[in-house]
Amino acid sequence: MRLLLTVVFTFFAALSVAASEIRVPAQVTAGTAITISTSGSGEASFYLIGPASANKTKVQAGSNIPVDSDQLEHAGRYVAILCASDGCTAANFFVNPAEANRLSFLVHPSRIPVGTPDGISAVAIVHDSFRNLALKPSPVTFSIMAKNEKPVSAARTSENGVAWVRLTSARKEGPTRLGAAIGHADEIRVVQQVAADACNLRIKASRDKRGFLIETDPVHDCAGNSVPDGTVVSFTESDAAGKTTVDVPIKRGVAKVEMPIDGRAKITVASGVVTGNELEVAGGQ
Amino acid sequence: MKATALRYGSLLIILSILLLGVVAYRLRATADDELPRVQLNADNIGPRPIEDLTSKTVQRDYALAWQTMEQAVSENKSALLDGYLTGLAKEDFTKRVDSQIKSGLHAHYTDRGHKLDALFYSPSGDAMELRDHAQLDVQILDGGKVIYDEPVNAEFIVLMTPGADRWLVRQIQATNGEKP
Repeated sequence: MRLLLTVVFTFFAALSVAASEIRVPAQVTAGTAITISTSGSGEASFYLIGPASANKTKVQAGSNIPVDSDQLEHAGRYVAILCASDGCTAANFFVNPAEANRLSFLVHPSRIPVGTPDGISAVAIVHDSFRNLALKPSPVTFSIMAKNEKPVSAARTSENGVAWVRLTSARKEGPTRLGAAIGHADEIRVVQQVAADACNLRIKASRDKRGFLIETDPVHDCAGNSVPDGTVVSFTESDAAGKTTVDVPIKRGVAKVEMPIDGRAKITVASGVVTGNELEVAGGQ
Repeated sequence: MKATALRYGSLLIILSILLLGVVAYRLRATADDELPRVQLNADNIGPRPIEDLTSKTVQRDYALAWQTMEQAVSENKSALLDGYLTGLAKEDFTKRVDSQIKSGLHAHYTDRGHKLDALFYSPSGDAMELRDHAQLDVQILDGGKVIYDEPVNAEFIVLMTPGADRWLVRQIQATNGEKP
């Protein structure tokens, strides 16, 4: 009986000495220091493996191991391992993102015609201060600030760290500032807004030495913005001999071309899908 | 006569064992080179629908990204990350490899597959967010000694962006699976 008791006591005593254990908090917020407690005795190696780190330190089993906040800035799964003379033991824990207070802001396109409905895509990716994706829903405010126009804003709540909005481009050409804000953080992008297609395209003709000079009025879009120089305007002359088309880029707001015309002819003008007025001229003798 | 038969028999057995060894080695090498299995479910993607070709490309490139990440932490070679990772993902894994080298550690992953749920595809097609349910066997080794060996069912939130000819993993973050 005495022998049996000795054996049982020795067995449990051996167990209590040999089994090193490691205890970690179940959840940690990024950038927060923690203490990992261990049991056992003797010299041991402590490993902390995270998404962007894999560190090894010498520790005393049975002591509390402090882990600095800068070792826990990356959100994700961490493994703490303690290897003592009796083997290795491990525990997992998660580091969760901190509060959202940074943004990555993607805006597309960088150049757009005025008044394009839902033409601008704005996507905000919400991060915490350590650039982890902040997955908790957070309010993001998008704004569009066109030159000489009142800013317009729209609020959206992020989902899985992403908030997005489609915006209609402003009525006036020129650079427009687009912003996304969360808390005190904001990001600005600039979208160049250019005139839309020409509107009310009109031509006039005057005689010159070699025929007719055909010239447009200053070319504007329907909101009155000047269509940019370089936009191609097509002049088409139709007479008894057939059709002739000349493509001319707009220069200083107008497009003009000299056309040698014999007899009666019709002249039409177009730019992209927009057509203008038609002229009838009579050249030659 | 009996002795000769015995000699040839022994020789045959030794040759068979050698042959089996070579075959087993070759099979393992092939398995290591295999791409991880990736299944993509894009039923709930929005606001932009995913094109067929993009869907296939994302699956292939995500598998290649995991293959290179696993090789990088196994062989401690951060240059392997250049192909399919960019931005924060590349930065983080490079730091991980650097600190593994410093601590004399390396990790071995046996990839048992990824189930991807596409969550978000931006209207202009310049960013995609996915949730990955991954099954992995993770081993961590200090020198040649295994200090950790565990099967892991992990969940990741992944941000991918298009590069010149492929989709790149820009950010990958393990989550505890809880709804935020």
